[in-house]
Amino acid sequence: MAHASVAPVAGPLLTRGTKLALALAASASVLVSIRLFAGLGSITALNDGFAWGLWKPLNVVTFTGVGAGALGLALVAHVANRGRHHPLVRSAVLTGAITYTLAGLSVLVDLGRWWSVWGLAVPTRWNVRSVLLEVALCVVAYCAVLWLEVLPVLLERWRDAPGARGRLAARVLPRLQRMFPFLLALAIVLPFMHQSSLGALFLFAPTKLHPLWYTGWLPTLFLLSCLSMGFGAVIVIDTLSHLAWRRTRDVRLCGSLALVMAALSFAFVALRVGDLAASGALRHVTGWRGVLFLVELGLFTYPAVRVLRRSYREDPGLLFWAAQLAVAAGAMYRFDVYLGAFTPGMGWSYFPSLAEIVFSVGLAAAGVALYVVLVKRLPILSGVARAAERRPEAERLRAHA
Amino acid sequence: MPTVSRRTVLGTLGGAAALAAAPAPASARAPKPPHGDDLGLLFDSTRCVGCRGCVARCREANALPEDVKLVDGAPYDAPLDLNDRTLTIIKRTGDGPGDAYVKAQCMHCADPACVSVCMLGALHKGERGVVAYDVDRCVGCRYCQVACPFNVPRFQWSSATPRIVKCELCRHRWREGKGAACAEACPRDAVVFGTRAELRAEAHRRLDAEPGRYRGGVYGEREGGGTGVLVLSALPFTALGLPALGPEPVPALGETIQHGIYQGFVAPVALFGALAWVTWRNRRASGGGEEEP
Repeated sequence: MAHASVAPVAGPLLTRGTKLALALAASASVLVSIRLFAGLGSITALNDGFAWGLWKPLNVVTFTGVGAGALGLALVAHVANRGRHHPLVRSAVLTGAITYTLAGLSVLVDLGRWWSVWGLAVPTRWNVRSVLLEVALCVVAYCAVLWLEVLPVLLERWRDAPGARGRLAARVLPRLQRMFPFLLALAIVLPFMHQSSLGALFLFAPTKLHPLWYTGWLPTLFLLSCLSMGFGAVIVIDTLSHLAWRRTRDVRLCGSLALVMAALSFAFVALRVGDLAASGALRHVTGWRGVLFLVELGLFTYPAVRVLRRSYREDPGLLFWAAQLAVAAGAMYRFDVYLGAFTPGMGWSYFPSLAEIVFSVGLAAAGVALYVVLVKRLPILSGVARAAERRPEAERLRAHA
Repeated sequence: MPTVSRRTVLGTLGGAAALAAAPAPASARAPKPPHGDDLGLLFDSTRCVGCRGCVARCREANALPEDVKLVDGAPYDAPLDLNDRTLTIIKRTGDGPGDAYVKAQCMHCADPACVSVCMLGALHKGERGVVAYDVDRCVGCRYCQVACPFNVPRFQWSSATPRIVKCELCRHRWREGKGAACAEACPRDAVVFGTRAELRAEAHRRLDAEPGRYRGGVYGEREGGGTGVLVLSALPFTALGLPALGPEPVPALGETIQHGIYQGFVAPVALFGALAWVTWRNRRASGGGEEEP
C-alpha cells in the first residue's frame, strides 16, 4: 500500500518554540550538574520513605506510556495487518524512540550510583529474581529496537546520496528490511514485558500500596493502560502536528484507533472494578483516595463511551479532546500507583521540589524539540499526499466501513 | 487488501495476553525458611529503659559519625530516626505511662523483599542469614527502600557517591568472635544476640515465665516468612511500628506472578515466534516490505 509520508516538513529548525524548548532543557541540565556534585538531596524532595518521586511516574512511566503508541500501532498495522494505518506508524515509532530515550536519561540521573550501571551488562551479576532488572534490560533493548526502526527513514534519504553514505545505506537498508519481522516481534514482546513489569514493581510493596491499587493484576493493568494511553497519544500527536504544519490528514484513521483505545479502556475498567469487587476491596472506596480512584475510572470511561459514536470520533476537535482524556487517564492511574496510593508509613510526606519539576519539564521540552527537528528533516509525517493519491485510500476505507 | 485471518490475530493476541496477565496460582516458588543457626537479635521492649547505649555502641562499632543536631543552640548527638549514619535507633511509642521503648534496625528477614528486588544483588542474603550489602554492586536505584516493609534501608541523599546504609548485624566483627555491638551494650538483656534457635528458646522462656508481661507472642517467628530479629512486647506490635504481616514472605506474591509469567522464558519466546511469523506472512502477502516500517 502506498506510504503517504513522502517529504519532511522542512522549514527552519530554530524557531521560537524550539528555542524555548532548548532553554528549558538547558536549565534541566544545570540541575543535573548540581546533582552530580551535591547528591540527589540537593535538588529533589526525595526522602527515605518516598525514595521514588516525581521522576519515576512522570519521566519514566508516563513518558513511555505516551511512547507506547509505537507498540499499539505495531499491533494494529503489522500484526492485525490494518495497513491503512501505516501513515501513522513512523511518527509513533519516533515518539516511542524519543520518550524511551528520555526515560532512560531520567533513570540515569535518578540513579544514586549511575556509574555502576555497567554491571547490568554482566549476566553473572544479575539477580534474575529482580523485576527491576527485567525492566531495565527490556527498556534498554527496546530503546535500541525503536531507533533501529527509525533508522530506515534516515537511510532512505542517504540511499540517493552519492559516495560512502549512499553505499552504506544501500547495503544496510535491505538487511534492516529482512530483519523487520524479527525487529517488529521484539518491538512488541519487549514493551509487553516491561510495561507490565512497571506495574509488577509494586507487587513487592504490599504493605505500602493502598488496597484499591494493590492487586495481582497490576501487570495486566499497566499493560492495558499503556496501550490505551499510547493510542490516545498517537491521536493527540497526529492532531497537533496537523495543526502545527497544516498537513492534510484522514481523521477516520485516528477515529478507528479511538475505537481500539475505547476497547482497551473498557477492558481496563472491567478488570479493575471486577477484580476489586471479587476481592472485596471495593469497600475501601472512601476518603480522598476513593476520590482518586473514581476520577481515574471516570477518565478511562468517559472518552471510551463518547468515541463509540461515529459522529463524535470523526470530529477532529472532539476526538482530540477524548484522546487527551485517555492519555490523562493512563497517566493518572500510573501516578496513583507510584505516588498517590503509596504510603510508606507514618510521618513520611513528599511533594516534588521545583527543581524536580523543572527537570521533568526540561526533559519533555527536549523531547518535543527533538521530535520537531527530526520531522522537519526526515520523512516521518504523513499527509502531504495530493488528493489524487488519497482517493484509493478513501475507497479502501469505505470498503472496511 | 491482503489480510491474515482474524483467528490468527486473535490467537496471537491471546498468547500475548497470557504473557502479560494472570495472577496464576503459584507454580513452585522455593520457600526460603529461616534456619535455626541463622544469627539475629531478640528485642524485649518490656525490658528496654531507653538508655540508648545500643545506639552509641553501634555507632562506634560501625565507625559512623555522630548525628549532631542543635536543640535550642546546644549540640546533641540525637538522631531522630534511622538515617544515613544511624543503623539502630531507640524510639518511644508515645508519652503515656503504658508506653514503651522500641528499637529499630534491619530485621534480617529470612526471605527479604529488598534482596528479591535488588537488580545486581547488592543486597543479598549473606552468611548466617544476615542481609548483607555490597556497595560495589549497588546502582543506587533505591528500590530496596520502596520494597522494605520496615523502611530500614537509608540512602545518603547529600552525597555525590551515595550508598545504602543499614544494619548488617556487625558481620565485620564476627571474625573477631564478637556479635552485634548493640546487644553487647545492653545492660538489661533487652537486646540479645544469638542464633535463631537460641533466641526463640529465650523468647519462649520469657513468655512462659511471665505470661502476663507480654502480649501477642514473638514477632518475627512467622511474620513475613520469619525475621532474624525477634520482638517481645507488652503492647500490640503495630504500636511498636511493626507492620502487620502475614506468614507469607513479602516478595512471595510478586515473585510467584512474575515467575509464573516468565517460567523458563517460554511465553516471551513463544510470543516472539508467533509475532515474527505473523508479521513475515503479512508482509509476504502484501508483496514485500519496501515501505517499512
